[in-house]
Amino acid sequence: MIIVGGLKFGAIYALAALGIVVIHKATRTVNFAHGAFVLAGAWATYGVVEVLKIGYWPAYVLVPIATGLLAAAVELVMLRPIRRADMFAVITSTIFIGIGLSEVYRLVQNTEMMGLPNPVSGPPIFIGDVIVTKEQIWVFAGAILSGLVGLAIFGYARLGRGLRAMAANPRGAVLCGYSADAMNAMAWFLGGALAGLAGVFAAPSKGISPDLAISMITAGFVAAVIGGFDSLRGALLGGLILGIAETLAAGYVSSAMKNAVSFLLLFVVLLWRPQGLFPEARIRDV
Amino acid sequence: MSSGSLRAAARVLAPSACLLAVAVIGLLFGTYWQYVVAISITAAVIGSALAMLVAYARCITIASGAMMAIGAYGATVPVVHGNVPFLPALGFAILLGAIAGLVLAIPGVRFRSHNLAMVTLVFQAVVIIILRESKALTGGAEGINVPPPVVFGHAFAGDAEFLLLCGLLCALAVLPMAVLLEGPFGKNLRALASNENAARAFGIDVSHHLVAAFTWSSALIAFAGAISAPRFRIIDPDSYGILTSIFTLAYPIIGGMGSIWGGLVGGGVLRAIPELLRPLADYIELIFCALVVGTLAFFPEGAASLIRTRRRSRRAQTGLGPRAERGSLSAASMAEALKGADPRPSRGGEGTSPDAPILTIESVSRSYGAMRAVAGVSLSVPARSLHGLMGPNGAGKTTLFNIVSGFISADEGRVRLAGAPLDAIPIERRIGLGMTRTFQHAAVFQRLSCLDNVMIALGRNTVLQATVRSISAALNSAAIRSERRAAMAALEAVGLVARAAEAAGALSLGDQRRLEIARAIVSRPQLILLDEPVSGLSKEEAQRLRELLLAINRELGIAMVVIEHNIGFLVSLCDRISVMSEGKIIAEGDAASVVADPRVRHAYFGEREAAA
Amino acid sequence: MILEVSGLRVASGPMIRVDGLDLSLPERGCLALLGPNGAGKTASVEAIAGLLPKAAGRVKFEGHDITALSPSRVVRRGVALVPQWRELFPNFSVEETLLAGSNAARGRLPIPADAVYELFPRLGERRRQLAGSLSGGEQQMLAIGRALVTNPKVMLLDEPSAGLAVGIVRTFVETVNRIRESGVAVLLVEQNLEIAAALAESCIVLAAGRVAWRGPARDAMNSEEIQRAFFA
Repeated sequence: MIIVGGLKFGAIYALAALGIVVIHKATRTVNFAHGAFVLAGAWATYGVVEVLKIGYWPAYVLVPIATGLLAAAVELVMLRPIRRADMFAVITSTIFIGIGLSEVYRLVQNTEMMGLPNPVSGPPIFIGDVIVTKEQIWVFAGAILSGLVGLAIFGYARLGRGLRAMAANPRGAVLCGYSADAMNAMAWFLGGALAGLAGVFAAPSKGISPDLAISMITAGFVAAVIGGFDSLRGALLGGLILGIAETLAAGYVSSAMKNAVSFLLLFVVLLWRPQGLFPEARIRDV
Repeated sequence: MSSGSLRAAARVLAPSACLLAVAVIGLLFGTYWQYVVAISITAAVIGSALAMLVAYARCITIASGAMMAIGAYGATVPVVHGNVPFLPALGFAILLGAIAGLVLAIPGVRFRSHNLAMVTLVFQAVVIIILRESKALTGGAEGINVPPPVVFGHAFAGDAEFLLLCGLLCALAVLPMAVLLEGPFGKNLRALASNENAARAFGIDVSHHLVAAFTWSSALIAFAGAISAPRFRIIDPDSYGILTSIFTLAYPIIGGMGSIWGGLVGGGVLRAIPELLRPLADYIELIFCALVVGTLAFFPEGAASLIRTRRRSRRAQTGLGPRAERGSLSAASMAEALKGADPRPSRGGEGTSPDAPILTIESVSRSYGAMRAVAGVSLSVPARSLHGLMGPNGAGKTTLFNIVSGFISADEGRVRLAGAPLDAIPIERRIGLGMTRTFQHAAVFQRLSCLDNVMIALGRNTVLQATVRSISAALNSAAIRSERRAAMAALEAVGLVARAAEAAGALSLGDQRRLEIARAIVSRPQLILLDEPVSGLSKEEAQRLRELLLAINRELGIAMVVIEHNIGFLVSLCDRISVMSEGKIIAEGDAASVVADPRVRHAYFGEREAAA
Repeated sequence: MILEVSGLRVASGPMIRVDGLDLSLPERGCLALLGPNGAGKTASVEAIAGLLPKAAGRVKFEGHDITALSPSRVVRRGVALVPQWRELFPNFSVEETLLAGSNAARGRLPIPADAVYELFPRLGERRRQLAGSLSGGEQQMLAIGRALVTNPKVMLLDEPSAGLAVGIVRTFVETVNRIRESGVAVLLVEQNLEIAAALAESCIVLAAGRVAWRGPARDAMNSEEIQRAFFA
């Protein structure tokens, strides 16, 4: 039963991790602002549901588009000039952009924490002798399915081909007529959309607050590292593993350990098997 | 005291003096401002500590909040629970910070950039969680009350006296940091951030230096946390959280990445701004984020760079070109310059009989998967000789060089320097054995001056040596002065003495290649490996470089192995030439006969052989 | 003239790699760019293709100025580069590589992958195979094929014979001739004089970034001057 709860959060982490990996694979940038994109998604969900009163279901479509556009804007406007400089500048910029976004939320909403009701309610279901809520099923299935769709887009669609070409060899991709700028913007759009979707799923259960940004960036990171950082499947799997580990720790040790678990897991993985579960071997071009 | 000693002392004492002065000035104002000034001074200290990690070593650390907390609690808990007097508790806090830095760095420095940042984030989060959970010791989430510091029986409870105590202690604390950053240790950090391979080739152990940097920085940040805690009266874990860490990063970035002053001033000013601009208090964090991103986009070197570029452009207009050439290539003066500066006897040829080879490569092979980059290469270079290595692209020349200099290991075979095998010897120690090298893409340390570049190349670059030399530099001791003389002599020998104070990155390519040679000779090696030393140079510059190398070989007895594509250059410089193709040596002999060899011509031109 | 380059200057930081290159390539023509390593041949073609920034000079394709275009735009106009290190995608299959290349032909008439398989039957036998697992010669074929499906009017080939076994080289010469017959002009960078002379009508020899010799290809084979340019 604890595992089921873990799977639900794990699916959310998986979505977040997927976005981070998409951006990193295609643009070689590690996006420390990703957690803030998730927060933006959660916040936008609030906007769609409570402010515009359009209802919950449209949010699943509208919000990712909005956060995708936000992420693409960040890449085009802020990161493009910085990319001339080194990695240090880019990473640091994404850190501060992330904090900045959280600050904007805090200032505009004038409050730290907001909540949203569950879109899926009703009596729980019994699978075997395990109690599962409809919400858990919805989040788990929805997030994982979206993740698989994202993976499919990246892996097989025409659009994804350009991104993968960029990921495999930027010079080669450019010689195939793929514009580096357009590909970067596309990758950030896709990553941002995935983050926003994670935010829509996370809003009811995790609440909307700057803490969400920080907890999602760390969870997303840990999941990505567990999976091997450049592997999309690994990101999904890593998220699930992390979710389960966290809830197990919370159940059997203490709720404080829950927070520590993700960090400790990251530490252990980096030290013991830094290439993660699915190391992306780079085949040498003779 | 000589002017040099005065200047060295002033450079190192200035930050401390500045902090003390600010503290004294703060006394003139009311108690609220005394509070602000005191807090700003501690922030300046944090900024200077982060200058070491962020500005010099280019590491991203998100753990400064945790270090501040370790210091704050480390000084407070013994006082509250153990009745320990303030100063020893402070010392304990500093020690705790250093240990924390060590614990963080030893696993952490295996990584760079984003993974290192994540490791520091892990550390940050775990420390705060531990502090929050240890209710008995730390008071948990509610925090702990901090009594005013009691020194020698007197309680510094008032704002004015606290400010004075704070200023004094901070001035003292910043002094070691200034010594390290202004001296060779700081230069080594800049070097490894600029070009890791070149840094290692000249004896700088990157991991050791980064661990040391983390240790010193963390200790200082812990100090700042400890000294500011009494003024806050209450400390709780959440005020030392991730946001705190991230905002301290802004200190050196906005303040300036060029020196300790960037971190110092950045810290002091940025910490004071929220107090000064009260009405904007809510928006401060957002403004900071915008400032940081803007600075990174448009002024990557921080505010200080604006001042520096103006000064540099003025200096650049005064006399270039001819002056640089004036540095004499006359053999006599060069020999004199080098011998006079360094009383150590030239190692060239000493201790080895004149016929014994200085470098022997015995059946060395190296493969990458199915591709044999180097296939059973054997080579012998006599001491004091000039040996060329040529061949078409992909022949394996650079791989061979990398094996000899230690950057790559050989699958089979062995390399010996003056008879002694080099197998297990890491890159950093090869300079001590008498071998230096230059790199294909002039690997000078761009942001360091030419003089600093050459001083690093003297090779005394273990963390311990670098620390001792930094103290030595602050005192302008005889040892550091003789090092400087040796470096200037090397610069004079290559004709760059007029540009000793200029940043290496501002030099033309020809001058950068000369600087590389100055670096290669200053440690009086027995052997220099030169990787495409004239690539990209004009005919005249190549000619001058050739004369320089010949003079060095003649006067100092240094053997050289040169990779070049410019065959005319190789022929006019080297005694013997080896030709490589597809990983093997296909011809070897004196220059003229090698070049006429039909096998060599075939390798380059593909002319039809009779047999084929 | 389908491709005209005037006054090309390429610098990497303080290093000047190409200093004042002029060349003209006629439609369906073939020009060889020769010279020792470090002479600036690769820098020249990469700058023409837009991969390297140009410090000075003009590049005109079909009369239009393409000097300032990004490399993806250049290939979409019809100037395709087969780079020295091929720059393939190790985890893409042969098929997919050609699909990726056809992206550059969108909006114009696409060249079907079958044309490439007809030119290189060995690739046709290995459509699903991953590029990273192909042999050196096959990778070279794939790199050329990828450039072909972009439907170019000009192909820039950078040392295409490097690393190829002698037997394949002969086939390679035939291949390039067939490509020219289909209407593509070729600018060939080579160190191998024999191949250059077999394919090109005229040659330019670069040394230290400057033009050291210029003339018809058959003169190049016997020229003392060229040997001097290489070994001087």
